[in-house]
Amino acid sequence: MHTKNLLKAGILGLVLVTTFILGWEGYWRSKGYVATYNDDKVLWANKRHEVYRAKEKATVFIGSSRIKFDLDIPTWESMTGEKAVQLALVGTSPRLLLEDLANDKNFNGKLVMDITEVLFFSNAPFVNKSSSEAIGFYHKQTPSEKFSSLVDFALESKLAFLEESRFSLSALQGDIPMQNRPGVYVFPSFPKSFSWTSYDRQTYMPDIFLSDTNDIKRVTGVWAMLGSDPTPAVDGNALTEIFKEVRTNIDKIRSRGGKVILTRTPSSGPFAMGEEKKYPKDKYWNQLLAYTQTDGIHYFDNPVTKVLTCPEWSHLAPKDAVTYTKQLVMSLEQKGWFSGEGLTQNTLTN
Amino acid sequence: MLFNSYTFIVFFIVILILHNLRFAWKVKKINLLIASYIFYAAWNPPFVLLLWLSTTVDFFVGRALYREDNKRKRKWLLVISLIGNLGMLSFFKYGGFLLDNFVTLVNALGVNYHPANPGIILPAGISFYTFTTLCYTIDMYKKESEPVKSILDFSLFVTFFPHLVAGPIVRPNQLVPQFATPKKATGQQLLNGLFLLSLGLFMKVVMADTFLAGPADTVFTAHNNLLPLDAWMGVLAFSGQIFFDFAGYSTCAIGVAMCLGFTLPQNFRFPYAASGFSDFWRRWHMTLSAWLRDYLYIPLGGNRKGSARTYVNLMLTMLLGGLWHGASWTFVVWGALHGTYLCVERWIEQIRNKGQLHTSIYIPAEGKKVARASMVPSFFTSIITNRFIKMLFVFFFVTIAWVFFRSANFTTAWHLLSSMFGRVNNGAALLPTLDIIKVSVITIALVGTHWLMRQSSIADLIKKLNWKLLGIIWAAMIILLVLSQKSSDSFIYFQF
Repeated sequence: MHTKNLLKAGILGLVLVTTFILGWEGYWRSKGYVATYNDDKVLWANKRHEVYRAKEKATVFIGSSRIKFDLDIPTWESMTGEKAVQLALVGTSPRLLLEDLANDKNFNGKLVMDITEVLFFSNAPFVNKSSSEAIGFYHKQTPSEKFSSLVDFALESKLAFLEESRFSLSALQGDIPMQNRPGVYVFPSFPKSFSWTSYDRQTYMPDIFLSDTNDIKRVTGVWAMLGSDPTPAVDGNALTEIFKEVRTNIDKIRSRGGKVILTRTPSSGPFAMGEEKKYPKDKYWNQLLAYTQTDGIHYFDNPVTKVLTCPEWSHLAPKDAVTYTKQLVMSLEQKGWFSGEGLTQNTLTN
Repeated sequence: MLFNSYTFIVFFIVILILHNLRFAWKVKKINLLIASYIFYAAWNPPFVLLLWLSTTVDFFVGRALYREDNKRKRKWLLVISLIGNLGMLSFFKYGGFLLDNFVTLVNALGVNYHPANPGIILPAGISFYTFTTLCYTIDMYKKESEPVKSILDFSLFVTFFPHLVAGPIVRPNQLVPQFATPKKATGQQLLNGLFLLSLGLFMKVVMADTFLAGPADTVFTAHNNLLPLDAWMGVLAFSGQIFFDFAGYSTCAIGVAMCLGFTLPQNFRFPYAASGFSDFWRRWHMTLSAWLRDYLYIPLGGNRKGSARTYVNLMLTMLLGGLWHGASWTFVVWGALHGTYLCVERWIEQIRNKGQLHTSIYIPAEGKKVARASMVPSFFTSIITNRFIKMLFVFFFVTIAWVFFRSANFTTAWHLLSSMFGRVNNGAALLPTLDIIKVSVITIALVGTHWLMRQSSIADLIKKLNWKLLGIIWAAMIILLVLSQKSSDSFIYFQF
């Protein structure tokens, strides 16, 4: 092809690509979507670097998805003056994350570990999948990957369609309704509007999700399906082994001067009832605290957080996340979590 | 640094600008060399030292080899280079494998020996640049070409970033002469190069990673027996994935070099259109096949030492070719399968040639045609149809061999082969309907495209296409690339 024709093809291609990108971005913006961040191993690794901040300047959070929704980071930071380093991972047990921090000799800070029993007391491989990938990525991240992540964050902060779990080709393929053969298991997908993530890894449900009862039903349907899992809860020696493992790792952090506390964030409706039935508080939560000799903050023990309701049974809406965070800060303050002068009364009643 | 990364996009823009500024040619070459080291170090900085060591040793040994007339000294110099290059390759790539086999052996003999995991990290592309430097040293030993005069040109030949980590494996005479005079891409080269880069990324990110990697991974990591449909779909998905991944990388490499005004050798020529196994290796990873032919098969004696020895040489070449791909017995079996295919093909060819020679004595050519036409429908005797059936036959056996290439161990390979041929009970359905549709459509399109393009090239296609159609195709590829986002990973061949 003559150079001139090749140039014309290139220009046509460029025009079409630019038009598509602008149109695609505009289309999703018109549906109420805004630029958010991919809640993936790259963003996790970016935050993992921050665990080495001085003890009085940061608290590290690990857990599953609940603490990501329920901890309102701006509220936390304005009340405490401390950085909240959010390292919890969706659909994951935090035990591997705890082990990673326990084995990191340079970590001697403060750690809040949130417990979602169904994931925490499970030894199924899938509960460690995301955490092992994220930890592996962090420890092996190449200079090229670090630089790419910076470019990526800059783009994600501006373009809504770069949210991979919603708008990537793989995600869009998942939107095609298709009947599968009997016996083929496909994990049900969440609505696109369900969970949005900020640069500091806080996850939240936007108004377009909270105002759509169909989308909320889709999510509760997923929890109902997961809740119907007939696998019995871990018990006996296997449970003791989990307690031992957690105790060993917490002790390692404490031996370096670090602090650890456990939390249990709210759940509601049939899902909460199912959780209590399968993992009774006395047998699991209380025993875990006793065995590991660790302090804990359970939402059910606080009259304010006890009545908070999760719209889709498992995570708090943003306004309730603010309430929960305030209560959490106050509980932690009572337990001497914040060093030095402590937090002012004004801050606590903020 | 991966071609499919934001880092590379920024890096490449900077390099393109620097390469087009009015610097002296030597300065531009130094820029390219530094850029190549940055490209490599961006993956794992300490391993640049290995690259420097390999380059320096081979530059000076190569020069000494060419100048030295004393046969004994020349052999020693060659041995130094071989030990240096193959020693590094053996340690980093085969160290763990050799240790594992040694431990298995001594344990079988009753010795209780369990060493700690050596934890050796494989430097990216070591197999590729080792072969690049080795061929230079061997050429110098044979005095087949003149030594490279400047260490700058030699370093750039070894390190030139487009081919550094996953080929094409270049020979000195293919690249070094291009460094002699100033090179800058013409407008046509730049646009062709950018098109090839887009095509290569599309093949890698969209076709290999987004569409095919999922079904292939699901099937190859399944722990239970599968229905034949699922097993076949997983294996066919890998047949496509490995092609799109590796050919995608080579296409990117050729495109990137072209944007800078350099030409790299072609590495793939629609391999699934191969009408025979030797034809397959003339189309698949062509630069490796040529390397193995010139530096292993022919030195072993090739086909010059009798029929039996030819078969032995073919098998040895393919076994080592298999081992080059990975330090595992599954790769050796993959190589052995291809060696067997080539031997059987050669044997059939020999029988057929003898038969033709025999019949030609008695039957005139015209008579043969009449006899054949009268026995079978003309459809089957058509050369094209015959070739098409051969292509499907070759694709089938190449696909079977991929089972060993992709499986983590023989148990997985055996489970999968048993499932593919319905030799198991209670095989489970595993893949969603969408995956089955994707793999089927892509496999048919892939084989069909290879068949239609078997005697052509991408360059020919670009020339023939109307600019509007080319612009739409180009845009479609980039749009799908943008939509695929980060659903992408390292190139499979990086591990080799």
